[in-house]
Amino acid sequence: MKRPVLTIYCLLVYAFLLAPILVVVGASFNAGNFLTFPPQGLSLRWYVTFFNNEVFMRAIRTSLWLAAVSTVISTIIGTMAAIYYVQHAGKRKELIRIAMLSPLLLPEVLTAISLLFFVYTIGIGTRTIIGLVVGHVLITLPFVFINVSASLESFDSSWDMAARSLGAGRWTRFRRIMLPLIKPGVIGGALFAFIISFDVFTISFMLKGIGMSTLPIQLFDYLRTNFTPEAAAVSTLSIVLTLGVVIVSEKVLGLRIHRF
Amino acid sequence: MSAKRGAGIARPWLLMVPAVALLLIFLVIPYINIVLMSFRTPGTGTPYGVGFTIDNYLRFFSDSFYLFQVFNTLWIGALTTALCLIIGFPVAWQLARGDMRFRGLAYGLVLSPLLVGIVIRSYGWTILLGNAGLINRTLQALGIIDSPLPLMYNALGITIALVHVFLPFMILPIMAAIQGVDPSLESAARSLGASRFTAFRRIILPLSMPGIQAGCILVFVLSLSAYVTPSLIGGLRVKTMAVTVVDALIDTFQWPWGSALALMLSVTGAVCVLIFARLTRMKWKVARS
Repeated sequence: MKRPVLTIYCLLVYAFLLAPILVVVGASFNAGNFLTFPPQGLSLRWYVTFFNNEVFMRAIRTSLWLAAVSTVISTIIGTMAAIYYVQHAGKRKELIRIAMLSPLLLPEVLTAISLLFFVYTIGIGTRTIIGLVVGHVLITLPFVFINVSASLESFDSSWDMAARSLGAGRWTRFRRIMLPLIKPGVIGGALFAFIISFDVFTISFMLKGIGMSTLPIQLFDYLRTNFTPEAAAVSTLSIVLTLGVVIVSEKVLGLRIHRF
Repeated sequence: MSAKRGAGIARPWLLMVPAVALLLIFLVIPYINIVLMSFRTPGTGTPYGVGFTIDNYLRFFSDSFYLFQVFNTLWIGALTTALCLIIGFPVAWQLARGDMRFRGLAYGLVLSPLLVGIVIRSYGWTILLGNAGLINRTLQALGIIDSPLPLMYNALGITIALVHVFLPFMILPIMAAIQGVDPSLESAARSLGASRFTAFRRIILPLSMPGIQAGCILVFVLSLSAYVTPSLIGGLRVKTMAVTVVDALIDTFQWPWGSALALMLSVTGAVCVLIFARLTRMKWKVARS
């Protein structure tokens, strides 16, 4: 090993990065009534409690549904914008890039608050889920844009020219030439948008309707008053879901997801 | 123009319409709205009253409680950023240059916290840092301390958790920047007699500066607007500005006052970023990493 000090230092940092996550997973198998680590014996009882807890199950359904809807919308909008950005933007390229990344660059708290005021000002309020979906689309849009434009940069437009000279129409060329070639970017962007939406907190916290809850919010509310390992079981399931998506996409589908 | 390259979409700008409409209606207009809102008068029974005033800002600047809280939030943000840089730089260097077989795994380890929700990560820290938490219990069992160390419900706990939450955002841009530096520059410097430290200071550090700047700004801005971590770790005792703003809006519905607070936090944050950029002679360009 060449630089032992550096290697040990890095291992310590990795341990620091993993510690709180491992602790949560470990705590979820605790047999005791209170959150202690190391666990007082192993048990799956908190998973049983959690699966029978309608409040958490409803929150999971809401989160999955919300993530699915906003992912579909932001994938369509983001892909269209990425095509324009890479192929047609010309001098406006940098401007469009900054605009598309702006939801990521602006503080989420401020975006959430201004969106909350706005939906009330125009009379929608939080009675419908429109505000919530819009917030999630805004936050996930940059991730779709980054991934799709990355795969479009390597798209050779002579393929498109060839198809065109052979008489293929606009829609056919998009469907048969461009879409198959940029598919990894689109799917990667969509998967990452889904994960981001599933974890978004502040936007959901401000824009959710009364009596509505996503999984992170339900967990947060629960943690403010309860200390049982049930929250750890919920968290572990959530971690497994997200990691599952990533592992399937990167190992099975062979996608490379661009996070920045 | 490159319009020809796109091979014949009649009106390519139509592709941008949905995105521009979305950003304009649901980002630009709400931001203008919140600025206007901060100049409105408080309402009785309604979120805001008629007419405009600068009272909200006068109240902010005359109340040392809020000034102190902004200062405290900026301090926690700066500390978090500095610690992320110190802790993260060697890791970024190792990821970019290290000759290890497990680079893929190490990269995955750096990214993994990003995939775990922020509520869960903060929750993990409450298990570790609490008075009856893992760290205190272990130290007590070993007989090193008698009473639990105050690790939670203070600025220390918030900073530890924030460093953890945002460390990947520091490591990744720096790693990308170092990867962009040609390794032969380093060996050239070494062969010309520069010590390893000099080569680092004169070659690696200046050339990786864009990554350092991007990482610092990202971490600083993110920690200023963090809500979940300070709220769960700080509890009711230590509040950062973002927590105060959100709680004030949810509990009291004072929109103009809440808007002014949120904007003051963002503006002071932006001023800090500008000063930082000026001091480090930053070239403004959205980094492509």
